[in-house]
Amino acid sequence: MSVLVFVEDPSDELSQQALTFARTLGQDVQAVAINDRDGYAPAAWGQALAAAARERTPSSLIAPGTDRGNEVLAHVAAELDLPMAANCTAVSPGDPVTVTRVRWGGSLLEEARLHGSPALLTVAPHAVAADPDDAAALADLETIDPAGEAVVRVSERVQAETAGVSLVDADVVVSGGRGVGSSEGFAVIEELAALLGGAVGCSRAVTSAGWRPHTDQVGQTGTKVSPSLYIACGISGATQHMAGCKGAKKLLAINPDREASIFASADYAVIGDLHEVVPAISAEIRKVRGG
Amino acid sequence: MALVAALAISGTLFTTRVRLLVRLIRAGAPTQRTGDVPRRVRNEAEIVLGQSKLLQRLGPGLMHAFIFWGFLVLAPTILIAMIGIVDRHATLPWLGHQGWYALLVDIFCVLVLVGVVAAVWIRKVQKPKRFQGSHLGEADLILGLIATIVISLLLWHASRIALHLNEWPASWSPVSNALSHLFADNQATKVLERVFVWIHVLTILSFLAYLPRSKHLHIVVAAFNVWFGRTRARGRLEPLKFDDPDVPEEDLRFGAGTAKDLTWKQVLDTFACTECGRCQDACPAFATGKILSPKLVIMGLRDLVLAQDTETPLVGEAVPADMVWDCVTCGACVQACPVSIEHVDHIVDLRRHLVMVEASFPAEAEPMLRDVERASNPWGKAQSERGDWAAGLGVKILEPSDPAPEYLYWVGCAGSFDERARRTTEATAKLLKNAGVDFAILGPRESCTGDPARRIGNEYVFQAFAEQNVETLNDAGVTKVVTGCPHCFNTLANEYPDFGGRYEVIHHSELLSNLVRDGRIKPNRGDGLKITYHDSCYLARHNDVLDAPRDIVSAIGEPVEMRRSRKQTFCCGAGGAHMWMEERASPINEERVREAAATGAGTLAVACPFCTVMLDDGVQSAGAELRVADVATLLSEAIDDG
Amino acid sequence: MNVLVCVKRVPLTGGKIVLTDDQRAISTRHLGFTISPHEECGCEEAVRLIEQHGGTSTVLTLGPPEAEEQLRDMMAIGIDNAIHLVSDGPEEWDPQATATAIVAAIQQAPEPYDLILFGNESADAGNYQVAIRVAHKLGLPVVTGIKGIAVQDGTLRLEQEVAGGRDVYEVPMPAVVTVKEGINLPRYPSVPGRLRAKRKPLDASSPARPEPRLEMVKLVLPPGSGKQAEVLGDGPQAAPAVVTVLTELGLV
Repeated sequence: MSVLVFVEDPSDELSQQALTFARTLGQDVQAVAINDRDGYAPAAWGQALAAAARERTPSSLIAPGTDRGNEVLAHVAAELDLPMAANCTAVSPGDPVTVTRVRWGGSLLEEARLHGSPALLTVAPHAVAADPDDAAALADLETIDPAGEAVVRVSERVQAETAGVSLVDADVVVSGGRGVGSSEGFAVIEELAALLGGAVGCSRAVTSAGWRPHTDQVGQTGTKVSPSLYIACGISGATQHMAGCKGAKKLLAINPDREASIFASADYAVIGDLHEVVPAISAEIRKVRGG
Repeated sequence: MALVAALAISGTLFTTRVRLLVRLIRAGAPTQRTGDVPRRVRNEAEIVLGQSKLLQRLGPGLMHAFIFWGFLVLAPTILIAMIGIVDRHATLPWLGHQGWYALLVDIFCVLVLVGVVAAVWIRKVQKPKRFQGSHLGEADLILGLIATIVISLLLWHASRIALHLNEWPASWSPVSNALSHLFADNQATKVLERVFVWIHVLTILSFLAYLPRSKHLHIVVAAFNVWFGRTRARGRLEPLKFDDPDVPEEDLRFGAGTAKDLTWKQVLDTFACTECGRCQDACPAFATGKILSPKLVIMGLRDLVLAQDTETPLVGEAVPADMVWDCVTCGACVQACPVSIEHVDHIVDLRRHLVMVEASFPAEAEPMLRDVERASNPWGKAQSERGDWAAGLGVKILEPSDPAPEYLYWVGCAGSFDERARRTTEATAKLLKNAGVDFAILGPRESCTGDPARRIGNEYVFQAFAEQNVETLNDAGVTKVVTGCPHCFNTLANEYPDFGGRYEVIHHSELLSNLVRDGRIKPNRGDGLKITYHDSCYLARHNDVLDAPRDIVSAIGEPVEMRRSRKQTFCCGAGGAHMWMEERASPINEERVREAAATGAGTLAVACPFCTVMLDDGVQSAGAELRVADVATLLSEAIDDG
Repeated sequence: MNVLVCVKRVPLTGGKIVLTDDQRAISTRHLGFTISPHEECGCEEAVRLIEQHGGTSTVLTLGPPEAEEQLRDMMAIGIDNAIHLVSDGPEEWDPQATATAIVAAIQQAPEPYDLILFGNESADAGNYQVAIRVAHKLGLPVVTGIKGIAVQDGTLRLEQEVAGGRDVYEVPMPAVVTVKEGINLPRYPSVPGRLRAKRKPLDASSPARPEPRLEMVKLVLPPGSGKQAEVLGDGPQAAPAVVTVLTELGLV
């Protein structure tokens, strides 16, 4: 029972995790990447993988659950007219293959059966930890060429004007919700973020109110962050938002409402108004550093 | 004859202008302002004849009352003067001969002059801020005309006495009599007597022509405006009809976008305004540095109406958008207005057009509007969690098949979801349970009453809620509702009847104070517990609930009143959907907190979840030493097992 | 241009998700409904494109009878027509079945569509594949995760956010594009718009549901983190305790 794995980027931990995940389905794992000298072209890459699947008849074809992983595998699924399960956290071989996959950005799980062969599935980010041996195995990676005419390809890359720490890469995110009250209210959030070398995030209510741009939004339809520490200020904890920050290693919630649902997902809690608590934390940090 | 000519000119000038004004009024959109006649008669008697609104400020009130009552008493002298012009020996039959009338005339001439002098002093020496933005020149001219009319009358009477032409016993008119010594019985005086009467009559006739072209129009319009003022609850806004089979959709009224959308009462309002500025003085937004002045709103609308401009949007230059959004719908302006202008109705109608037709409103209110519509509460929390506060308190959640309780406790969105307001809800529930009251809550089946949507101007979304909630309440067989939130109270009691929902609605402070009075709740009075009570606008001004919360405060501590209390209360700043909007300039809540702190009380008692949150926020930001708590919370702490 | 937007009715879940007894659906008692944020932005984008370039827009959904509410909401912001593929019963339609039904509706449309918009993924199932399957069946190019659309001479210039910047795709119409929230800020509907929407044309049909090939067996709530948040304090007095934690985490 061979397993074919699409490796998006051998140095990226999500691709490494996909490889580790694949081993639960069988020992004969073939990792393959697509030659990207002509740039990313999702349909052409999908065609190449579909051809490889037809040729090698694996029992399953796995990809990391990244934007590109999901996209390319969906193309394979459409090409081969097979079902595809995106963002799986677990898989059991069999006929049919059963998976546990993510719904609602992680707030709900689904157990599903894939009626078709090969089983096509992408791996939910951080569903498994990458095995260092697998990472090493990727040093010797097979590459195949894209197939077909690439009507859809990236034609240019526009660089972003970097302003501060990028939200998706930040090690600390200080995030504000409805409780901040206004766009000026974010000054205390920005202050704390700057002191910790982190990025500023916000909830969907904040972008809807026009206080911060959508690029700052953390959530199921915004940016998904995985910092060492996520500080949620005045955020009640709607599932939509939690889907964006559950990747955080530690979560500190600051909210005046003891019953707020965010506390159920928090490691640390401060019951209070962020307008008082956050400046106090900033002042304390300055004191500790200065003294 | 010269008099006939003067009358004709003056009459024509007066009539043509009045015809225009009447046409503009009749062109206004329809609104229902008839019915309830006894109440209207009472209003005329109290507000117009009795000058009750004006006398809310004693000094300026008396000043005006003298002039107004003087006008009433002196009115027949206009006829007398005109008769006197035609025939210097004639006067009004019977009245012209009455000594007591001549005495009254004299007294009121003096009082009118006292009033005029007082008015001049107020305007020129005191220069109160409420006149900022008013047309002061017009006022000066009017005062001058009034003084001229009265002085010329006195001098005319004086000169007639000197010429022995007086038809009344001279001793009955002491002032005129005294003045008569200035004149001898000679040819000069004969000439002067004619001069005085002509000055008197011509001034009156010019005044007549000037009247409908100036703010003095109020002397005619005010009486009508007071008659047509609302007699039903002040807190009730008039609904719009979106599905009228007789009205094609293009002609539906979505509030006031241009002058042609104003109702006839709104047009009448603009004609009644005297630019006195009492509304401006009362407005909490204006008092804290915002540009909103209810007076300037009405004046701005009046200008477009008189210009007969039906194209220019009302909100823009005539009424700046910020003015429209700054309003907290507290009604202090309406309370202060001596001529029954209903500024809040104007502002809400302007909002309705902006929100419903242009979809233009402060961006920070958008999450609230979307959430209230989709999630049925303005905080966007899951309705399934609405009754969670009741877990463990043994409070019954009414299921569809259950029989109706005696009281349906309508908790409201703030009371269910806001952590500070929730303390009040828990305290109230405990008190009611301990007192053995038969009550239940709807829990997840209770949606927002729609008040924030209606106050911000989204009448369409509001009506969807009204209909839904009325159906729920009617299906459950509810007859009595007790609620802790004055906004819910106002909507349930005054606005839901328009949608088929008629319930006996009582505020929680009323029920609790009844229970205390009946001995079913026995609080202990705290020693030295000084409490100042803040009246919620929606409870006190819009709904006349003033004493019940005070009874509770007196039962548990030592009450001390703020200066701006009862119907003169100063808003906490949350009304008009401001709970969800940002505030510019200095905050209204801090202003109120400073006033509370100045009483020396340690506790600031409230009876509204919005006041609880706003004033507590104000205490934090102003750094005051005050504890803000609802009367229910304070009461529950004052009972033995509380 | 002729634009189609596909949307899906989803519940507004709030702070926690509750399942039905049979664990095959979310309990929606007392929940409000909406369409997922990506799709709402897609509808706004369609309205803007038509305002800019002229033409017609249509919104389509495969959903229960109640989903008409979502179609009318989108017509209220300016979409001209609606297509309602009415699904009967509580059973879900898997991505392949959904795509098949949508393709059938597209092929029956009187005028071909120049642009077919989807949300990047649906808020609930999040399968990330319906748009791509639809594109394959129609033989159209498809680009996903788009945050910017510009039209010029029958070509689409599409921008996708990636780490460090934006990738640009240029693709001829007709094409399928999936968009992400943030591409625009959806407008608030006017009441005249809502009233007109009640009368705008809505084409309803009831396709038959094929057997699922991605078959949902049951739904499971993720295991609780088991976390008990450590309360560091109340109010600003908690600041020193917070900084102690920050120091332990090596952040100060």
